[in-house]
Amino acid sequence: MTEIVVLEGVGQTFLNVMKALLPLLLLFLILQFLFLKLPAGHVFNLLKGILLALIGLALFLQGVHIGFMPVGRAMGEILGTIEHKWLLIPLGFCMGFLATFSGPAVRILSNQVEESSSGFIRKWLVLVTISVGVGVLVALGVVKILCGIPFLYIIVPAYVVALVLIWFCDRTFVSIAFDAGGVATGPMAVTFLLSIAVGVTSVMEGRNPVADGFGLIALIALAPILSVMLLGLIFRTKLKKMEVNKQCPRKIELLL
Amino acid sequence: MKEIRQTVLEVIQAVLPITLTVVVLQLFIIRMPANLVFQLLIGAGMAIVGMVFFLLGVKIGLLPMGEAIGAELPKRGSLLYVIAIVFLVGFAVTVAEPDVIVLTNQIDVVSQGSISGSLLIYVIAIGIGFFVAMAIVRIIFGFPITYLLAAGYVTVLVLSFFTPANFVPVAFDAGGVTTGPMAVPIILALGIGFSSVLAGKSALSDGFGLIGLASIGPVIGVMLMGVILG
Repeated sequence: MTEIVVLEGVGQTFLNVMKALLPLLLLFLILQFLFLKLPAGHVFNLLKGILLALIGLALFLQGVHIGFMPVGRAMGEILGTIEHKWLLIPLGFCMGFLATFSGPAVRILSNQVEESSSGFIRKWLVLVTISVGVGVLVALGVVKILCGIPFLYIIVPAYVVALVLIWFCDRTFVSIAFDAGGVATGPMAVTFLLSIAVGVTSVMEGRNPVADGFGLIALIALAPILSVMLLGLIFRTKLKKMEVNKQCPRKIELLL
Repeated sequence: MKEIRQTVLEVIQAVLPITLTVVVLQLFIIRMPANLVFQLLIGAGMAIVGMVFFLLGVKIGLLPMGEAIGAELPKRGSLLYVIAIVFLVGFAVTVAEPDVIVLTNQIDVVSQGSISGSLLIYVIAIGIGFFVAMAIVRIIFGFPITYLLAAGYVTVLVLSFFTPANFVPVAFDAGGVTTGPMAVPIILALGIGFSSVLAGKSALSDGFGLIGLASIGPVIGVMLMGVILG
């Protein structure tokens, strides 16, 4: 394969896009006729939005199909055969960290945590904590692939930690934490990091791409959950200390 | 205009760092065939433009649709109607979520069709719909979110010991991809709109938690699929 293919599988992509957007469109149109009865001009504007989403989704999926997926797979296949496989662990950390640190969703979340803690937890701390968390969990995912650790041995302890943290955290932080699961699993994680993982497992002996290649997204999604709840725990301890010291009673009143 | 520039910036911020990392790796370590590198750059360009179009389309078309449906909900007295519509909205936004489409395609390809991608996408969507509906029931009856979260996660933990090994990582990944650019704003709008209409509920702590709950649904759904098919 030496030529560059751009339109390969474009029919399938188009079919996927239609299947994706049809249910919402149908649901809206049925409700529109039965109950909503929005003015026609408004509906027309919404339909323009749907058309835009349709074109965008088709372009995105086709771009992923010809770019991120085959290249991620090829990269994984090359990386899976290098001599010093441990190098993949720091590489995984860097990719996880970079992908998160630059992501817009994490910044919005960081602001939200700063506000919820009345400024006690600075937003840069949230940003760094989550990015490092994602990096560590991606590195852990690489270790899992290299050593062939069953996925359950990693995910079950991680979830138990999350469950335990729920009982020690304020409700607001728990809610923010569990909503935050998605901020790190952006389009790059699914399209690219996953393809690399699948590529690596497909060339390593004794690895099954279905059982060993997947699971990375789940680990990435856990990072913000654990990070935000840990920060919530720190916030609570700080608050308690202040209550004991009575250094700043007015601020505590405001918070409570 | 400002909104478009903001969206473009966000998408580039999400795609560029990894693409640059690949280019650096290519130069120093891996050396893939040149045509693959070009294909990556073309694909990345298409994905960026596509994502911008899609996000704008969500903002001007899909999100207002979700909001219009959400604002209508509390006006109908019937609890059953509310739950049914919330379920359907959850289902419909999930099948349109780009990350869900990409993940299910990948599993279909990697498992060589033994785990069907199109079946998987509907199982994930039903899981979301069910749990978003549960979350709305929670807002109506006002019991704490921690109970639902804990019950959901305990179910996941127990099920994970009965699920065939091939389905476990896929199930957890399915929970991770549902929180994308499409489902999150619409489901949040639904929840916040709903709880702000009901008097006496704080919009913040009642509306939030919806996404976290929603992402448990697909995990349980795919695990059940594995138990049945495996």
